Amino acid sequence: MSAPYLHISNLSFGPDKAPVLDQINLTLDAGHFMGIIGPNGAGKSTLLSMIAGLLHPDSGQIELFGKTLGPLSRHRLLKQVGFLNQLHDHEPRLPLRVRDVVAMGTPDYAAPLWKTLWQKTPHENAIMEALEQVEMADLADRDFRHLSGGQRQRIRLARALVRKPKLLLLDEPSAALDSKRQDQLYALLRRLSSEQGMTIIMVEHDIAAITAYVDSVACLNRRIHYHAMHGDQIPENIWTEMYGDHVHIVAHDAGCIGCAHPDEHLEEDR
Amino acid sequence: MEMINQFLASQVMQESLAPALLIAVVASSMSVMVMAHRLSFLTVGVSHASLAGLGLAVTLSLPLLPTATVFALFVTFLLASMPKRQGITEDAGTGMLFAGSMALGVVLISTASRYEVDLFGLLFGNILTISATEMEWLLLVAAAIIISMLFLARAWWSIAFDPITAAASGLPVSTMRLVLYGATGLTVIMCVKLAGIVLTTGLLVLPAACAWFWGRSLSGLWLLSVIFSVIGTIAGLMISYHKDWPSGATIVLALCCIFILSWGGAWLKQRAQKHKPQES
Repeated sequence: MSAPYLHISNLSFGPDKAPVLDQINLTLDAGHFMGIIGPNGAGKSTLLSMIAGLLHPDSGQIELFGKTLGPLSRHRLLKQVGFLNQLHDHEPRLPLRVRDVVAMGTPDYAAPLWKTLWQKTPHENAIMEALEQVEMADLADRDFRHLSGGQRQRIRLARALVRKPKLLLLDEPSAALDSKRQDQLYALLRRLSSEQGMTIIMVEHDIAAITAYVDSVACLNRRIHYHAMHGDQIPENIWTEMYGDHVHIVAHDAGCIGCAHPDEHLEEDR
Repeated sequence: MEMINQFLASQVMQESLAPALLIAVVASSMSVMVMAHRLSFLTVGVSHASLAGLGLAVTLSLPLLPTATVFALFVTFLLASMPKRQGITEDAGTGMLFAGSMALGVVLISTASRYEVDLFGLLFGNILTISATEMEWLLLVAAAIIISMLFLARAWWSIAFDPITAAASGLPVSTMRLVLYGATGLTVIMCVKLAGIVLTTGLLVLPAACAWFWGRSLSGLWLLSVIFSVIGTIAGLMISYHKDWPSGATIVLALCCIFILSWGGAWLKQRAQKHKPQES
């Protein structure tokens, strides 16, 4: 049996008195699509940054594809990981075409110049394929700075996809997307996970929007309160534990995990 | 035509053209990274700090350029290690070091005898008096900068675009930034020889700033930046010879003219595009 794509054991981060993350344990196999939900400041982005090798856990460890993530293995392991960080409202300053932005996601982009200079357009096919996945192929030669926020977000997603990662980490990928684009995004991720065996971890706020697509949902607030698997409903007390009095904002329309695709879902409701 | 012939026939110019072009090519290559990483204030700081390095060299009778080089690297790494977490940002650190080492330089140089120091040359550059050993030193420094660019240009570029994603793809971002700062410090020293302490930033910002209007990729920007810089340097040297103006200042002025022309050209192009029927 092959090793799980992601194995987190006893991971903690932050001061002992007020840990940001506390005793996280998680195992994900190939092709698993997991959503992480939780209130603001729950440590969702911190957990994702740790898996992406940006932060080191204070205790516990992270294994990617059966190898421990450490300073020495980092470079090699992270080549197989795609990461889309939370959208910050920064205006891009560098004059770049869309295709060059996506090219930055290719695993050997930062190689010494003489290795890449002779290939006129390395990874051209992979770049166009990634752009087609996010339906931006016709804008490949446009200036990235002149695009809208939603278009930029899709380009950033293409940059994470272009390396064909085995593990894809997404921090609120639907930010800046309208609801139609959001659904298209989730459907694309579902396809990548089912058809290509990509393991996906996605942090999202809106559980109702993602339940139909994901295989499981982890409820995170400092620790993983509940990991709802396929066909599961998240119990009422978990919502109260996580969100306190504000539970009504999130819980009222959360369906069971991965039960049906949205269209079928609607028919069931009727 | 007459002017060009005279220029080429002049021995001083023949001797200064090669080092000036070497500096132009290296500085304009690095200027792309200076623009991308917003390091122009760092170049101001390091170039002014090099006065202290030169002052040290004069006081202790050490060779000028090597001492200045080591001191510039020291200042650059000091700046890179400023305690940002405590709120001492890079620009504040640059401001402090800039003033502090300039003050040290002024004190040191004022104690040296007047004949030892060509203060005007230090402040505004003098490529016409370059010695053979200085040329060797310039070549050595240039080689170090170009080699680090060949290795790291694309990594630096992707870090400038999005440092978090660059780190998440496995790049050792902080180490690479440190090397970038070092290479910038070395480039500053090369430029000080040509344009002097006060004008160095011009050589390190203007070429890429001109290219920014036209380039759309790293290679495009790099190439344009080098072309603009070489044109500006040759034109500047010729005019300085013809009019008997200081060479460094004339080169910087020529680059400024190219910038204004680029700006105007880009504005005209934008206007023309606006009046064209919109696509899709």
